[in-house]
Amino acid sequence: MLKNYFTIAFRNLWKNKGYSFINILGLTIGMASAILILLWIQNEVSYDNGYPSGNRIYTMFNRDKFNGELWAWNSTPKIMAPTIQHDYPEVEKISRYENITFLVTVGDKKLNGRGAFADSSFLSIFGFPLLKGNATQALAGNYNIVLTQKMAVKLFGKDDPLGKTVRIDSNANFTVSAVLKDLPNNTSFEFEYLLPWAYMDKLGWNDAYWGNNEVKTYVLLKPGASVAAFNTKVKDITTSHSKETAKVFAYPFSRLHLYGKSENGQLVDGQVVTVGLFGMIALFILLIACINFMNLSTARSEKRAKEVGIRKVAGALRQSLIGRFIGESVLLSLLAFLLAILLVQLVLPFFNQLVGKQLFIDYSNPWYWLAALSFIGFTGLLAGSYPAFYLSSFTPVKVLKGTFKQSNALVTPRKILVVLQFTFAIVLIISTIIVQHQIQFAQTRDTGYDRQHLIYAFTQGDVDKNYKPIKQDLLKSGAVISLTKSANPITQRWSDGWGYMWEGSTETDKKVDFVRLGTDADFIKTIGITLLEGRDIDIYQYPADTAGVMINEAAAKILRLPHPIGQQLRREGEKPRTIVGVVKDFILESPFEKKISPMLILGPGENYFQIIHMKLNPARSASSNIATIEKIFKQYNPQYPFDYAFADESYARKFKEQQRTGTLAILFAGLTIFISCLGLFGLATYMAENRVKEIGVRKVLGASVLNITALLSKDFLQLVLISLLIASPLAWWAMSQWLQNYTYRINIEWWVFAGAGLLSILIALATVSYQSIRAAISNPVKSLRSE
Amino acid sequence: MINITGLEKIYRTEEVETVALNKLSFEVKDGEFVAVMGPSGCGKSTLLNILGLLDDPDDGSFLFNGIEVAKFNERKRAELRKRNIGFVFQSFNLIDELTVFENVELPLIYLGIKSDERKKRVEEVLDKVQIMHRRNHYPQQLSGGQQQRVAVARAVVNKPKLILADEPTGNLDSSNGNEVMEMLTDLNEQGTTIIMVTHSEHDARYSHRIIRMLDGQTVTENILV
Repeated sequence: MLKNYFTIAFRNLWKNKGYSFINILGLTIGMASAILILLWIQNEVSYDNGYPSGNRIYTMFNRDKFNGELWAWNSTPKIMAPTIQHDYPEVEKISRYENITFLVTVGDKKLNGRGAFADSSFLSIFGFPLLKGNATQALAGNYNIVLTQKMAVKLFGKDDPLGKTVRIDSNANFTVSAVLKDLPNNTSFEFEYLLPWAYMDKLGWNDAYWGNNEVKTYVLLKPGASVAAFNTKVKDITTSHSKETAKVFAYPFSRLHLYGKSENGQLVDGQVVTVGLFGMIALFILLIACINFMNLSTARSEKRAKEVGIRKVAGALRQSLIGRFIGESVLLSLLAFLLAILLVQLVLPFFNQLVGKQLFIDYSNPWYWLAALSFIGFTGLLAGSYPAFYLSSFTPVKVLKGTFKQSNALVTPRKILVVLQFTFAIVLIISTIIVQHQIQFAQTRDTGYDRQHLIYAFTQGDVDKNYKPIKQDLLKSGAVISLTKSANPITQRWSDGWGYMWEGSTETDKKVDFVRLGTDADFIKTIGITLLEGRDIDIYQYPADTAGVMINEAAAKILRLPHPIGQQLRREGEKPRTIVGVVKDFILESPFEKKISPMLILGPGENYFQIIHMKLNPARSASSNIATIEKIFKQYNPQYPFDYAFADESYARKFKEQQRTGTLAILFAGLTIFISCLGLFGLATYMAENRVKEIGVRKVLGASVLNITALLSKDFLQLVLISLLIASPLAWWAMSQWLQNYTYRINIEWWVFAGAGLLSILIALATVSYQSIRAAISNPVKSLRSE
Repeated sequence: MINITGLEKIYRTEEVETVALNKLSFEVKDGEFVAVMGPSGCGKSTLLNILGLLDDPDDGSFLFNGIEVAKFNERKRAELRKRNIGFVFQSFNLIDELTVFENVELPLIYLGIKSDERKKRVEEVLDKVQIMHRRNHYPQQLSGGQQQRVAVARAVVNKPKLILADEPTGNLDSSNGNEVMEMLTDLNEQGTTIIMVTHSEHDARYSHRIIRMLDGQTVTENILV
């Protein structure tokens, strides 16, 4: 019986090659898109969920009030972990974690590798599988290093790395104590090597200051321990050990990736919103492909009505007919699935690049196969059920007597389905336009400084020591026209602090968070910002500037001082700082944030310099400038490669996430439109066939080609216009929500909808016009002769 | 009105060459009612298509009101057709999606006539064929005779000089058939030229002249009046 169904189904597909092609192509693209998105979702949902004792791992959070709003964040003081370990018996293990970048040297191989400091319990808390070495011992001692497999191969090739020596920076030699299996693609950790926390002590970077929130703290609770009970106890740990005001809580690490957005001090949604959105897109794209199948099957039903009638007269039950039609759609979805898998394999590298992930289909995993089977079944049923019930419902008497006629009602299921397709397509078109517009809006925003010809380099090794001759040589060479030492790149926020006081400041002013930068001299000239009042910091000309500070406009507003120059900023435990200048606001952080944070540009003091900004000579080519600079750096700092970045490239990276969204929007909008148009094309073909007699009559009566084309296209255009009416408010609502993420944002304007409408009408018109015009120019004699 | 000389039409497929019209010549004067008869495949329908400017001949001359139209392009033919010729088909060829009124109105729309003028003329002609009471019905709701009356109404609504009828009674019973033939006779008496293809000797007797065709040629002409 089943074999019979499939044979007939296959013959039917073969007989109607055109329709089968449209159906299979649409379903293939729909399925491939859905599979890609599902792979992505699977990765997102499994993020940080694969650790052996994952349900007992927590990450420590702070909660405190700033500017009247509660915030939660999981950077914690270094002292927190040992304190918890000591005081709370329900804690089995605890580890701190902090990312760093060191120059890693083996022989003459040097590379700047991403690494991390971690306590010795780190590996056993997370249970990262080891290829070599012992998890509990690997991070003990001061000079052990754990490498990932990839890093081990990079450094040692095929040799066994265990026990070999790796130099970190130019300071210390480490012994490889373990090799980790490469990290899976669904972990939030990013490191190529791990160093013991003890080494941080050796460097003098460790501190016991409860106000310095810098590292992550991960806790493994004992089996059966209640996190609620732990949280009530641990809440006051910071306040009881210091004057800090933050409350502390433990949050399930496995939830952090999806539910990690702080809203009024609570961790609510976050990435899960995007996951849900993508899930909906996957479902809709699949649905749209299925709609093509439904529409084309039912549209052709008149042709098959006779077959159904004869089968029923011959004794077929309705169930068996339903089975037959469903068999056809399942076969179709099976074919489409096989093609879709091929397509996915083909485009996966590009998709991975697009979403910044390492997704792959795990063919050895039985769950994938089960998912594939249910996917085929689901698609087959989704696409086939409506046509099956529709086609099998024909009554033989009507069909065979020839009185069977499809309804020409104002609202038919087919029209609703087409409207559904185009509504979704138009929502995506509108969203795409708005996303692109928003990105462009932020990109063209005035940053307040000059990114052109500006580079920055890291002060590794002997650079700081030899800064004076380096500076002299750079300026003399003509490659650099100005340079400044800084605490952070001009495109990144590295430091902030609160607790500042000034003349007339209040208690609440102490909770104002200032972004902190640093300079030695020539900051304004090098970066290209505008000085409003006073002067730039220059510790060479004014040695007192080591206790000087420049503020930006935003900070000046907060200080509320009529004449800020010469006034002092005080902070507990620091020397008072004198304001020497006020600069115009410039964008350090996100160009999507309307508000610019108050900033302090400090002369050297408690913050140390890690960056040198250089303004290149615009009269020469960038490459020759860089070559000159590199030579000078090599001369004074031969141990290290010259590592630099262009400020405008670094700034452009701020748009990466939005551009990714934008590209995905274009991609899915394009695919949706393509699939919808495939369906529309099929319907237009069917319609042209079906109305061939009418077209003939009209032509005989004097209708022109234009009349006929307009007549045939009109119906479809109506549907597209209805879709536009439904899609516009939907898209407006959805994109208003999206734009809420940005305080510096566009207003959604009417032309977006007009443009999207025009575009979709043009696309639909182009799709149906081929069939319409073909029908319109055909000779009526042919269509009328077939009597 | 119509003067054809040496008209030729040949249909070619890969294997067969069928001569549909073989150097056909005849003339139809203004106000005549001509019946064309002959066995299936003798070229009647091809002739009617060419006379109706739906198809063009391969060779020969076709003067319509003294104008050579044999080499007219599609656009010119359509223009001439919609102003001068009305069609009545055996299978009515009404558009199912349109009402009686809308079907009859169609030629006027394509002539670009204004809506109130159209309404007047459609009602006039519907009245004449006595189908006014069914104006808002759809073709499927009418009997065959009623449908053919609508088709005739549609053919004459733009007051054509020539009506081409292709077996107009072929799908009708005898009383409905006679009714349609009476209608055509009336139209002819009011001055419309009619050329009718028919298999029915009975119907042919309504005409003034019978042209009998065989293998793409006229064999005899009987003058009845």
